[in-house]
Amino acid sequence: MTDDTTESTIVDGAQLLEERAGDAALESPNYDGEFDAVIVGAGLAGSAAALTLAKRGLEPLLIERGTYPGAKNVFGGVLYTPTIRELTDLDGAPLERYIGEKRFSMLSHHDETAVSLKPGDWHREPHNDSFTVFRGDFDEWFAEQAVEAGATLITETTVTGLIREKGAIAGVETDRPDGEIRAPYVILAEGGNSLVSEGAGLKETESRENIAVAAKEVLEFPENDEAIEDRFRLVGDAGVSYHYFGEGAVGEAFGGGFIYTNDDTVSVGVAYSLEDAATKRQSPEETLNLFKSHPAVAPLLKDARTVEYSAKTIPEGGAETMPDLVHDGALLVGDTAGLVLNNGVHLEGTNMAVESGYHAAAAIADTIEGDGHLSQYADALEQSFVVQNLERYAWLQERVEEDRELLFERLPTAIADASTEYFEMDRKPKETHAKAAKARVLETVGGLKGATKLALRYRKLVR
Amino acid sequence: MSVSPRIPDTDIQNDSMEDRLYTVKYDDPGDSHLDVKVPSICADSCETADCVSICPADVWRRDDGEVPTIAYENCLECSSCRFACTYDNVVWEYPTTGSGVSYKHG
Ligand SMILES: Cc1cc2nc3c(=O)[nH]c(=O)nc-3n(C[C@H](O)[C@H](O)[C@H](O)COP(=O)(O)OP(=O)(O)OC[C@H]3O[C@@H](n4cnc5c(N)ncnc54)[C@H](O)[C@@H]3O)c2cc1C
Ligand code: SF4
Ligand code: SF4
Repeated sequence: MTDDTTESTIVDGAQLLEERAGDAALESPNYDGEFDAVIVGAGLAGSAAALTLAKRGLEPLLIERGTYPGAKNVFGGVLYTPTIRELTDLDGAPLERYIGEKRFSMLSHHDETAVSLKPGDWHREPHNDSFTVFRGDFDEWFAEQAVEAGATLITETTVTGLIREKGAIAGVETDRPDGEIRAPYVILAEGGNSLVSEGAGLKETESRENIAVAAKEVLEFPENDEAIEDRFRLVGDAGVSYHYFGEGAVGEAFGGGFIYTNDDTVSVGVAYSLEDAATKRQSPEETLNLFKSHPAVAPLLKDARTVEYSAKTIPEGGAETMPDLVHDGALLVGDTAGLVLNNGVHLEGTNMAVESGYHAAAAIADTIEGDGHLSQYADALEQSFVVQNLERYAWLQERVEEDRELLFERLPTAIADASTEYFEMDRKPKETHAKAAKARVLETVGGLKGATKLALRYRKLVR
Repeated sequence: MSVSPRIPDTDIQNDSMEDRLYTVKYDDPGDSHLDVKVPSICADSCETADCVSICPADVWRRDDGEVPTIAYENCLECSSCRFACTYDNVVWEYPTTGSGVSYKHG
């Protein structure tokens, strides 16, 4: 196959993918020793690893449990592409819109206080490497890029366990008849619900304090073709990501709501602490309904129809709960390694998944070529933005958790009250209102002393 | 313009759970991929039934003092119940050979 990525080669890629899937899975299941590495899961991390290995001239086998790559995957979402763009050409990738505006919004019960960012640069290529996508489309396309580069993909096949020989991991067991496949290296890219890694003792089950539950709906506007452009003020391929916090977004729980614009649909959802969902008995369905009904949110979604409902968990233990990344014969990447940054301001996992898949594959390729060692994967990741970012924000989650009642309930209400006060139209002098507004906020944070303390507690945010 | 403008209409039509689940493509594996490990823990020890309150698809239902019923064919494979059960009492496997949910817009 040539490597010009025209429409037609991509179609060929899809056929090839199916043929190979048929061959490998059904006709000749014995592939022992045929592959340099087996990769569990054709999500972003898995396909990044497969593509990297194939480009180095090696033969990876990519195993996916869904009917196609992406069929089982759910995210918000905004795909961050700085690493993907280095691995492959994004022309022809199924992207929905680039992010031209980010908006952060505090919702109290009835009020909204928001900040909007629209840097002009985001309208220019490469658009800050931020695009809305559907994983069903994008993951399939990304896996095809790996297949075109020489990787083999098997779908509808679930890895059920790992094979160990003399203590080292030496392959995988699958749910196919005679489904054992031996290979010198295994990359675990199975996402956050890591049944295989946990079953093999490579990682512990995360405690529910470090898990968020998310429910999402993709909505269309059947009666109004211009609804998305008009309501979100979009031109061309520009799109928005709106992030919501506070009581009005997710009730008493720790987390947030989101709206992202796709080509002709919007993705709306909530993601919040599973521990809170359980202890405060706050179901995902009700939480999503309440968020969608907030007076600041509802007008954006008026007369929408549900295209698809979905749900998923997010591992958010960050740097603190990261498992060992390197094992004898196996490497953990992406969500399996807990590589998600979710701290309110950022929700990033796609970029970390791809970056980690790339470094894991590079370590395996170097090892096979005789001038490397698997452990170099952990070092490379530590020096990359992945671990650096996770460590940088490790303190934030904890602190926000301690202050959450103030940050998400009392303060949003106080700020909304203060703005109402500040801009109040009556016959009193502005100064009276300004003083009262200031007093309202200060009272909530505990006076000037309290404000200073709060600023100190969060000063690292802007450092 | 009228003398006093109307307050914005924030009536949002939220779908019922049934309608929501109807939007999800599902291929029934025939057998449940979910179960409980020790039924008596659910019936006798567990007071909170967190599996019920956190499930985004109403798969789990429990009457007081009983073992939950599991409508596995509504499962969105989100994995929340596996993490939420503080008794570690949920059996959670993947539906076999590609069955279960298939999302298009995930
Ligand atoms: C609601 C939500 C919103 C999010 N929003 C964003 C966002 O806006 N931006 C962002 O950057 N990140 C976001 N994230 C995080 C991001 O989605 C993840 O970090 C990212 O998808 C991780 O990629 P991965 O390849 O590690 O895992 P996954 O994408 O989960 O891929 C794992 C793959 O492995 C397959 N698999 C699993 N087990 C097996 C098995 N045993 N055998 C065979 N195949 C198997 C799965 O089917 C799947 O294809 C969000 C996450 C959620 C849940
Ligand atoms: S939470 Fe666990 S122990 Fe309690 S009813 Fe559910 S499955 Fe049983
Ligand atoms: S995996 Fe999610 S949708 Fe399925 S039963 Fe458990 S909580 Fe419910």
